[in-house]
Amino acid sequence: MKMTAERWQSLTLGIVGIALFLAAWEAIGVNRLAGLTWPPLSAVFQFMFDPTKAQLFIRAMEASFSMVILGYVTGSVVGIALAGLVHVLPVVRPGMDRLASVIHAIPAIALAPLFIVLISREFTGMAIAALNVFFILYVSTTSGLNNSTAGHRDLFQVLGSSRTTRLLRLDLPAALPAVVSGMKYSVPAAFIGAILGEWFGSSRGLGLLMVSAMQNFQIPLLWSAVFIASTASLIVFGLMGLLEQFVYGRYK
Amino acid sequence: MSPVSQTRSPLDWVKTAISRYWGVVGVLIAWQAWVTITGVNSIVIPHPINVVGDLVFNPGVYLANAGQTLFLAAAGLILGMALGTMVAIVAWSSRILSGILVPLGLIFSSVPVVALIPVLARLLGYDVKTVLGIVIIISFFPAFVFTAAGLKSLPPGSSDLFKVFGASRWTRFVHLVLPSAVPNWMIALRLSAPPAVLSAMLAEFLMGKSGLGFLFRQSATEFATERAFGTSVIATVISVLCFTSAVAAEKFINEKWK
Amino acid sequence: MNAPLSSAPATAPEAWAINVDHVGKTFTLDGGKELKAIDDVDIKIGQGEFVALLGPSGCGKSTILRLVAALEDVSTGRVTVEGSNPTALSRAHRLGVAFQDHALLPWLTIRDNIALPYKVAGRPVDDKRIAELLALVGLSGFEKARPRQLSGGMRQRVSIARALVLKPDVLLLDEPFGALDAVTRRHMNVELQRIWSEQRITTLLVTHSVEEALFLADRVIVMSGRPGRIIKEIQVPFARPRSPDVQRTMEFHHLADELTLALEPEGHH
Repeated sequence: MKMTAERWQSLTLGIVGIALFLAAWEAIGVNRLAGLTWPPLSAVFQFMFDPTKAQLFIRAMEASFSMVILGYVTGSVVGIALAGLVHVLPVVRPGMDRLASVIHAIPAIALAPLFIVLISREFTGMAIAALNVFFILYVSTTSGLNNSTAGHRDLFQVLGSSRTTRLLRLDLPAALPAVVSGMKYSVPAAFIGAILGEWFGSSRGLGLLMVSAMQNFQIPLLWSAVFIASTASLIVFGLMGLLEQFVYGRYK
Repeated sequence: MSPVSQTRSPLDWVKTAISRYWGVVGVLIAWQAWVTITGVNSIVIPHPINVVGDLVFNPGVYLANAGQTLFLAAAGLILGMALGTMVAIVAWSSRILSGILVPLGLIFSSVPVVALIPVLARLLGYDVKTVLGIVIIISFFPAFVFTAAGLKSLPPGSSDLFKVFGASRWTRFVHLVLPSAVPNWMIALRLSAPPAVLSAMLAEFLMGKSGLGFLFRQSATEFATERAFGTSVIATVISVLCFTSAVAAEKFINEKWK
Repeated sequence: MNAPLSSAPATAPEAWAINVDHVGKTFTLDGGKELKAIDDVDIKIGQGEFVALLGPSGCGKSTILRLVAALEDVSTGRVTVEGSNPTALSRAHRLGVAFQDHALLPWLTIRDNIALPYKVAGRPVDDKRIAELLALVGLSGFEKARPRQLSGGMRQRVSIARALVLKPDVLLLDEPFGALDAVTRRHMNVELQRIWSEQRITTLLVTHSVEEALFLADRVIVMSGRPGRIIKEIQVPFARPRSPDVQRTMEFHHLADELTLALEPEGHH
């Protein structure tokens, strides 16, 4: 893709915006404009890259990110699989749609007690992450599977293809862009799920770090934990965005 | 067949109900079955009947806290949407502002914003107003991002049409740009409704002294599992209500708008 | 407020309603390359005249219409409408336009869509005029309907009613029936011919249909593509109002053949 003047301009403005945001963060912190609980960006960085704290952050990241990954993978697989199922068996679709939207509307905090009992405190985050991801992927995959055009479906009908062949050769490739978009948008949802889960009494993770730092006025630690979680989510989101662009170029 | 020909037969009703609700009912049955079969201690998982009992016999506790949470979630959602819309309009009015603000908005709406709650709680202080502030901030980003995009998605050809008719910038804004953003605005409302309830509860859970989130934390620490599950039920009802009314509002508007 | 429909312009420095004076238009593409859309096009349209611009797609005929509508600026030459800059005319709300895409606002009722030019011009809505126009385009009773409830042909009729509502001095039609099926399109042409014969507004029609151009216009200008140039011009002799039967006369067929031949790319024979 060629970079036009307009694209350069919007890129520059975007970078200026981010720079302004970071500068404002630093300035507010240095001048204590928002009180003692807003540290300058530099102080947060200093704290984050302090070698004596490395062990603390690495352990927390390991705990949280493993829950994110487990939840993300479980949610994606179940979401895509169930979407495929209701696509082949349309009878079950209304009930599945309804269940998915009820699950989506239940606030994660309401499910926490159930998960804590069912699958232990440590894995509650994973379960909430999986549910969040499941909903997004179920919805995007079901709508994606209807993306194949009527003309293409007629073609397969005329060629006498079976339902499964059509699913594999036509509907799934046509659904791929929607699925990948869903996978992109479920990245922050997976992080939210894992962190929330840790707020309900987990003994490890970035979420626990946030809550204990909040309660004990450990301001730089609090901001560092939030910064790490947000940045990690953004990086994965950006990578999925690249994958999305590739898939859109190939399948749309 | 039923003698009244206009109404559908009871069999059809049953069929529709089963086709729509088999999933939800199935999960509830599985829960009850699991509790019965494994015979877990009722301190760990209460029987559904006891949860209902606590709800019926202590309506005051639930109502007062649910009312507060619902109010904070709804007020925060409305204020956040209003604020997001205003900033989107400001961004629309200037190319440079939109170039700066829209990428920031996109970044923030793809960050797990709920994770910001502890930071906001510390910044704004442990207070009911902070709960409101948190809901406002969380509802702000979708409203901003979607409205900003909506203000630019004009019906095909309409932009040329307004130019040929010699519309002023203001007329164009009132009669074309603002109405064009309405469907996107409704999407933002629908997307923000469940997180508004969730974030209000989470904020109450982490630092509040009242509200459903606080009730939940209190009952969990006191091992009052019936109360904890009752709170879950009420929270779910509120959230489902908010979500379905947002969906209904979106559908209603889209019938007029699209 | 509104100028009389077909009187001669008393104050205009020139007699032409639309004067496209040796106009060229060059677009700069994304990669920085330049594309010459039209080159040295000269078109003069008189008061109350109906002129059709006929040409293959991509020949720049729509560009000419967009120049007259003040949607684009010329690269070389000059465009005047009613003796002044086209922008002045659109600012005075004296242009009427209908595009291939109906461009009706989906959230407004049919009545409100037709009333839109009043709102844009900041004038009180004249409901009598709207009712008149709805009757003229055969859509009385559809005031409260919404665009998506109407068929493609009906939507185009609404967009033509909207173009006429302020009694414009100049009417610009850019393939208004281009998206319709052949049968509906022929029907719409008959309707438009009837409506136009009652009002006689200076009109520029852009089309790639030979029959449409011949049936509707007083004069047909044929263009060739890349860059767009005028290659032929014919006067249409049929008296108004024209009945659909005109299209079955020998003369019509002769003229249609002549125009079709002119549209054929060179070296094709």
